[in-house]
This record gives sequence, structure tokens and C-alpha cells, in this order.
Amino acid sequence: MIPKSLRRSPSPGRLVSLAIGGLLVLTGCAAEAPLDTLEPQGPISRSIDSLSDPIFLVAGVVFVIIFGATAIIWWKFRDDHSTDEFPHQLHGHFRAEISWTIGPAVLMAVIAVFTLLSHFDLNSEDRTDIVVSVDGERTSWDPEVLVVGQQWWWEFRYYFDGLDGLDLSDARNLPPADIVAANQLVIPTGSEIGLRITSRDVIHSYWIPALNGKRDAVPGRMAPWKIEAETPGVYFGQCTEFCGLSHSRMRMQTVAMDPADFQLWVDQQMKPAVEPTDTAALRGRAIFEGQCARCHVVNGINDGGGADLVANAAPNLTHMMSRTTFAGGIFDLYEPDGSLNRTQLEAWLRNAPAEKPAYAEGRRGMPAMGLSESQIDDVVAYLQTLGTAPAMDVITATEVD
Amino acid sequence: MSDVTELETPGGSIGVYTRPKANTGWRDWITTVDHKKIGILYGATAMFFFAIGGLEALLIRLQLATPDGTVLGADTYNRVFTMHGVTMVFLVIMPLAAAFANYLLPLQIGARDVAFPRMNALSFWIFLAGGLFLNMAWIVGDAPDGGWFAYAPNTGMIFSPGKGMDYYAIGLQITGIASLISAMNLIVTVLNMRAPGMTLFKMPVFTWMILVVQFLLLFAVPVITVALFLLLFDRNFGANFFNPEMGADPLLWQHLFWIFGHPEVYILILPSFGIISEVIPTFSRKPLFGYPFMVFSGIAIGFMGWGVWAHHMFVSGIGPISVAAFSVSTMFIAVPTGVKILNWLATMWGGRIRFNTPMLFASGVVSMFTIGGLSGVTHSLAPADTQQTDTYYIVAHFHYVIFGGALLGIFAGFYFWWPKVFGHLLDEKWGKWNFWLMIVGFNMTFGPMHILGLQGMSRRIDSYSPGFGFEFWNMFASIGAFIIAVGVVVFMVNVVISARRARTAPPVGLDPWDARSPEWFSPNPTPAHNFDEDIQINSLDEFWHRKYGEDEDGRVVRVATAEEVCQDGSATDTHLPSPSYWPVVLAAGLPFVGFGLMYTLWFCVPGGALVLMAIYGWIFEPVDDPDGPHGHGGHGDEPTEDPPSEERADDASAETTEEAPVG
Repeated sequence: MIPKSLRRSPSPGRLVSLAIGGLLVLTGCAAEAPLDTLEPQGPISRSIDSLSDPIFLVAGVVFVIIFGATAIIWWKFRDDHSTDEFPHQLHGHFRAEISWTIGPAVLMAVIAVFTLLSHFDLNSEDRTDIVVSVDGERTSWDPEVLVVGQQWWWEFRYYFDGLDGLDLSDARNLPPADIVAANQLVIPTGSEIGLRITSRDVIHSYWIPALNGKRDAVPGRMAPWKIEAETPGVYFGQCTEFCGLSHSRMRMQTVAMDPADFQLWVDQQMKPAVEPTDTAALRGRAIFEGQCARCHVVNGINDGGGADLVANAAPNLTHMMSRTTFAGGIFDLYEPDGSLNRTQLEAWLRNAPAEKPAYAEGRRGMPAMGLSESQIDDVVAYLQTLGTAPAMDVITATEVD
Repeated sequence: MSDVTELETPGGSIGVYTRPKANTGWRDWITTVDHKKIGILYGATAMFFFAIGGLEALLIRLQLATPDGTVLGADTYNRVFTMHGVTMVFLVIMPLAAAFANYLLPLQIGARDVAFPRMNALSFWIFLAGGLFLNMAWIVGDAPDGGWFAYAPNTGMIFSPGKGMDYYAIGLQITGIASLISAMNLIVTVLNMRAPGMTLFKMPVFTWMILVVQFLLLFAVPVITVALFLLLFDRNFGANFFNPEMGADPLLWQHLFWIFGHPEVYILILPSFGIISEVIPTFSRKPLFGYPFMVFSGIAIGFMGWGVWAHHMFVSGIGPISVAAFSVSTMFIAVPTGVKILNWLATMWGGRIRFNTPMLFASGVVSMFTIGGLSGVTHSLAPADTQQTDTYYIVAHFHYVIFGGALLGIFAGFYFWWPKVFGHLLDEKWGKWNFWLMIVGFNMTFGPMHILGLQGMSRRIDSYSPGFGFEFWNMFASIGAFIIAVGVVVFMVNVVISARRARTAPPVGLDPWDARSPEWFSPNPTPAHNFDEDIQINSLDEFWHRKYGEDEDGRVVRVATAEEVCQDGSATDTHLPSPSYWPVVLAAGLPFVGFGLMYTLWFCVPGGALVLMAIYGWIFEPVDDPDGPHGHGGHGDEPTEDPPSEERADDASAETTEEAPVG
């Protein structure tokens, strides 16, 4: 699990796009940009990039021609008061008109051919089964993950028996999954992973720029999409369809692991929550069961329908500590040294709406729980028992804040 | 006075049904049916809303200037960007285009007024009512928060429980009525009231583009009307058109919105194309290159604009076949647009270009719109668009089109036709400051957004975290936004100081720009009756052709001065449509109906009463004010049946303006 370096050098496509902005002069440095659309990290995003880069180039050339011609015309035909003579009244030129109608049309037709090839390639499925060991049994998994957006976080549901044949018509009442993850989609490298994207409330958009373009999560619809990463690493994303109050704070990451690490991750995720031993954690679990479990699920505690108020409306926390971010992918769960980001987690438990705007009273977003400081300590102690921390390189690669 | 004074119309004896007489002061402004005054009203109102929309833009840029901005909260930010979009599209660019269309279209076709002058006043007052209604949402503290595109189901009652989206739905419904009325009025005007000899292909390009836009409005507005009704019913009367929980498909809204919304883009841009197609030839001292191609490309854009709407939905999951079709159709709409740009350049080629302020702004359109067009091509490629859409790359693109294309063109129009409208020029020095501040600020603001978008900055986010590489260009863009604001203030200052100076300075000449199109036959400012007598049109650029001829070597020589060619505006005995109270009364009723739908149906009572009263008053209003200060040359065949219907009244005035010899 080696994170990709996030520092990248400027590509020709980026340079041309800068030219489009008329800002060539100011392009000294490329900033560190984990959402950069011009730095593909997988075959799918690379195929998009290999279509768009030449187009940026073509657009750049046309830009230079038009602007050059304009500058020449302005200079050459400016009124310098050297003559009083009126210019020749030329009304048009039929051949010129035809040629600059047909010329661009032919250019567009050529572009259209490449676009359509790329487009249908992008919308085709080319998945091969992955062998995953599930509960000690080797299973052939058609790698397709159910992606569910809601205000303002993402849920990822893994069904190792495949999605076909499941009743997925009601996103608020989905069949039990083998693994339920939140905000961080974990995938094995080197395989095309299918996504089926839907929403529980409004329209969102799932987008990991380094791996593929975006696809909207529309309630009542199931949109097919796919991603693929070549190298292990953490890839960042941001909801791109305006989805209400905290749209800007709806982020996500994709963690790509090599297949062996992915298998380890699956093994861990399949385990139910471990029984806490220390007393603070036990007190914390009692508080969790009394309050948090109304929305959050922890397998083994309330996955039998305990989250009755708004089932599935909050992230499943069974393996919370295996993630590196929380609250919709916006806060680091760990400090850079690998210790728990206790300050932020406590602030979240103290008064979540102050940390991330939400309509908590409308049960959209986590409300302020009214916990005392000692209760918060207990809950934190309990949460720390849920799942195991990821490797240090994943933690350092994530660092969203 | 002739038989008309004796004519007894029903209600003619009741004071309220007589037509108002004032032609000065505020009474004149609220009762006027003069297309020129209505044009000025449109322009002034739109500039007022421009100030509001501009302040909203500055708030957005303040919030985004630094990471984790705290100037506006998330909630306020969402309302501000929603209202910025709604205001700039519906209350600024569209009515500014309407201002030019109203003022200039009758002048360019040599008519005395539009076909239905009272309807014209009605469309302005309804637009104003709608605009004020929308902005009332700020005053009650519940502005719309669902984006100007208002995607369902985020705008439904569950997710937007306040009144904001009701203000949006009803406010836009009201302004839509204004657009529809105006569209029908201008279409009838162009088709029926052109000067003798002005065939469609001797019509100025500006009028052509306005005509195309009116057809687009006529067919596009009903679609948004339906969509807004559905939204309103969903929100207020328990309908489920967009509620996925009841089996509705939220993509229905997107299709309806963009079937309106994409033609809307051309509704915004084509008037500006028309304006600069007048400005560039004038200042290049050459006729517009390839006039028929310019007209046909405008028409082609109008038609093709109906076949590209789903490019706003490439990632919404409409299926690969639809996406492929719309991707290709979108690419090909670049062709007629490219034809226009090349023709403008060809117009300048070989000319002798004067870079007065109107020409600067028009050149700004050609270059800035080119950038917007090229970035548009880059996201017509559906696969590339999956990376670009809903990022700042798109924000950059459509601001290059709407600000760089539409708004700069409108400013070109301001500087070009200001003497026509107000009888004095705007100051050139201030004008050049205005232009350079705006163009520099504009490129500083929106140029970097290309980079931000490609770096992955999502649209409509109220804040961003440090570490994504967004800091520098956002700060840069925010500085640019304030430079634009300074440019706009310079324009306002220019308006004031130019008006002050005009009080003492000699009046502007008849033909300050050595212009080409027929509106310049009338003196500056345009007299109330527009033209002393009908103009006989023999060619495109008739005004220019009367001033210039060719010598035996084929060289262009001046054959007549503007004084010899222009009319002097001295005719006094002309028939003009009488003013009316009823348009403003009718329009005033609509917001009350709107409030009634939102709060308590009782508000509908006064609103409905006003509307009904106005309709009755309108019907029973005498065709003309019997005591009006005008003569009736050629009016022996005035219809005497009663009650005179609306159409008869307007037909009568239409006939007068078009055919009857006046003066």
C-alpha cells in the first residue's frame, strides 16, 4: 500500500488550458492538486485524458489562430488617419463562407469519431471476476459495488454474491450486504470495478477524478459506472452535483490496495465488532446503544434492525477505525503520526452541526447529541474498539485537512 | 378634429376609462406605451438588478477568496449563488436585450411603434413585478436555495422546506409571462410593420437576431412554464411530479429545464451578436461580411439550439446512446457560431477600424466569446465532459459566453446607441477605462477558473479546504471580480458626467458614428413619433447608401451629408398610440396572486381583482384619447364599431404607422 506522490508536473493539456485562460505568463508552478483532472491514475481516466488532451491542443491552436488573426487585423486595418479614402465595400465572398462552414464541420466530424469511440468504450463493461476469500470460502466475485449517496456522505455496499438478483429498488431499504463501508471505497488494483450508483435523497455525483469522470447518483435510478486504479494509493473525490446545505463538505476517497491487501481488508471488514473490555469503552457502548444506534449501525449490536428511526441514514461504524476520514470524508481520523485525531472527533461528538452544517432537526446530518465531556470520552473509547487502523502510508496519504 | 372626437365608446364617459394624457413626469413613465420609453425602462430596471446581481457575485467571490471562507455561511452562500444566477439570467441579460429590442427594433424597421403598444407596456410591468417578487425573497429572509437550475428533488418540500423555491417558481413564472407577451409582440411587429421596400433580407442583422430570439422565447418559455407549474404543485398542493419516493423520475425536471435552458443560452447571446453585427461594420467602415450567412447562421443556431439540451446531462445517467447523440449535435452547433466569428473578422479585414468604445466592446465580444466557444467544444466531447462538468471549468466557460459574449455586447450597444437614445455621447475617456477595467477584471476572474476546474474544484461549493491547490487562483479571481465592479462603477459615473456635460454642450450631431442602418434616419434623441415620414428602403444599410456613392473609378465617395439624409423630426401631426393605466395595474396584481399561492389564498383576492379590473379597463378603454395631442391624417377609415377590441385598436395604429402617409 504505497501512496502515490501527490506532486505532479504540468502536462501539455494543462498548459494549453492555461493558454485558453490567456494566462500563459503566470504558469510558473503547478500546485499540489489531489483532484486534478489532467493527471489520470488509471486506464479509464487515462482514456478520457487521451481524448481531451488533443482537443485542448486543437482548441489552443484555433485560439492562437483566431487571436493572432484578430491582432493582425486590428493592427493592419486600424484607422491611423493616414488616408481619408473609404475602404472597399466588400459584401462577402461565397467561397470563403463555404470553406469556413465546411472546414470546421469536417474538423468536428473527425473529433466526433474519436469522441464516439472513446464514449462507447467508457460506457462498456469489461469486468473479470476476482477470487475473494469470504468467511474462509473462495468466492468468485463479479467486482461491482453499490454506491449510495445521501446528504452528505457516501455508502459503499459489497455483495460478494453479485448484485444481480437483488432487489435494489428501494435505496432506503437495501438487502443486507457483506460489507458496508462509508466515504472510503476500497478496491483492489489492476481490476475494473463496476459501480452501481444511486441516492437515498437528492441527486449527488460520484467523482474520483484520478480514476474516472463523474456519474450522478439519482434517487430511484441505478446508474452503472466503473473505476480502476493501477497502483495502490488514496484517490480523492468530491460530490459535484449540488445537493443542498453541505454539498461542499461531501467528499470521498478511494483507497486502492494490491489484491493481497484487499483480501486482508475484506477479512477484517467481515468480522463483527469485537467485545470491548475496558470499562470506559463499555460505558461508551451503552451510550452508543442508547443514542447513536438510532441511526448508526454496528454489526453485532443493532444490525438486526436496531437503527429503526432512520435505518441506514448514517454510516455503519462497525469498522470505523479502518477508515482515515470521517463526517463525509472531510476530517482526518488520524493525526499525521498515526494517533487518533481526538480533538476533531470530540468536537464532532460535542456539536456536529457546528463542524459541518446540516439540517439535523430534519434528520439530515448528525445532530448535537448533548453528551457530557466524560460521556464523549467514553464514546471515543468505544469507537476506538471498532475496527483496526489502516497502515501508516494510507494515513499519511489521506490527510484531507 | 374629426369624427373620432364625437365617437362615443362605452365607458368613455366614465373618468377611469379615459386614457391618461401626461407625456412628462412620473405619470408618463407609468402609463407610457412608447416603445422607446419602455426600452429605457427595461434598461434602467435591468441595470438596477445588475447592481444587485453584481453585489451577489462579489459576496460569492469574497466567500471563496480564501479557503474555509466564513464571509457567508453555507446556507446564505447557497441562496446567494442561486439568486446571482437567477438575477443575471432572467433580470439582467434578458431584459437588457429586451431594452435594445424595444427601443431599436421599430426604429430599424422604420416603424412608428411596435404592433401592440399596450401589450408592450404590459410586458415591461410584468417583468418588473416578477423581478421585484423574486427579490422580495431576500426581504422576507427566505431566498431560493436550490440553484438557478433547481434540480429536483432537492427543490421539493422535503429538502427545501422554506418559501424560497416558491419565490423562484412563481417569480420566474411571472417574468415568463412578460417574455411571452413581448415575443409575440415583436414577431408581429417585424413581420408586419417593416418600412416600404424592406424585405426580410434587407433587414438589419440586429433585428434579425432579435426576431430569432423571439421565436426561441415563444417556444422555450412554455416549457419552463410547465416545469415551474409542476414544481409549484409538488411543493404546495401535494403533487408528486418529481418525488422519487412516489415513483417519479427526477430527471423529468432536468429534461424540462434544459429544453428551455439551452435555447435560453441563445436567447441570451443572439441579441449581443446582433448588436456587434451593427457595431463592427460601422467602425470598420465596411458592410457586414457575408450578411446572408450571418442571418442563416443565426437561424441555424436557433434551430440547432433545440437539439443539444441533454449536454447538460451527460453524467446524469441518461444512457450512452442519448449521450452520444447529444454530444455530436453539440459539436456541430459550433459550426454556425464559428461562421459568425470568422465573418466578424472578415468584416474588419480591409476596413479602416476606429477603436471607439463601442468597437472596443464589440471586439471584446469577438475574442472573449471565441474563448467561451472553444471551451464549449472541449466539453461537447462527452467523455471529457465527465471530468469537466460541474466544475469551475464550466463556470469559466459560461461566463466567457454570457459575460464575455452577451454582456460585453450589451455594453457595446450602450455606447453605440446612447446618442440615439439620449441625444449625447457617453464620454470616450471614461468609456475606455470602463472597457479596460472590465476586460482585465473579467479575464482575471474567469480565466483562472479554467485552471481551478481542471484541478478539480467543484461548482457550487461554499468553501474549499486548503491543500487542493485552489488557494492562489481563487484569490486572484476574487481580485478580478472587484476590478470588474470598479469597471461597472466607472460606467455609472460615465452616465452621470456625460449627462451633466450634455446640458451645456452642443447637441450631438445626427450621425455621430457615420452609421449604416435605418434607425439613424431619425434625429437624436429620437422624437416621440420616430420618423417624420416613411423611409423607402432600397438596400441593406440604406442609411449608408444614401450618404455614399461610387465615383467612376469605383471609389467610395460621399454624396450627401447626414443633414441631407436624416429627417429633422419636425413633424407634429402624427398619430401615436395613447398611454394607458391598465398595463401597470394588471402587472401589479400578479405578485399578490403569487403571495396568495404561497401564504394564504386570501391574497389572491386583491391580486385577482386588480388583474380582472385591469382587463376590463383595458377592453373598455377608448382606442384613442379623444383629447390627445395628435392629429389624424389619413384616418378617414377609422373603425367605428364598438366596443373597439384590443386587436382593432392596435391594428389601427399599426396601419397608421406602416401605410398611412403621416405629417
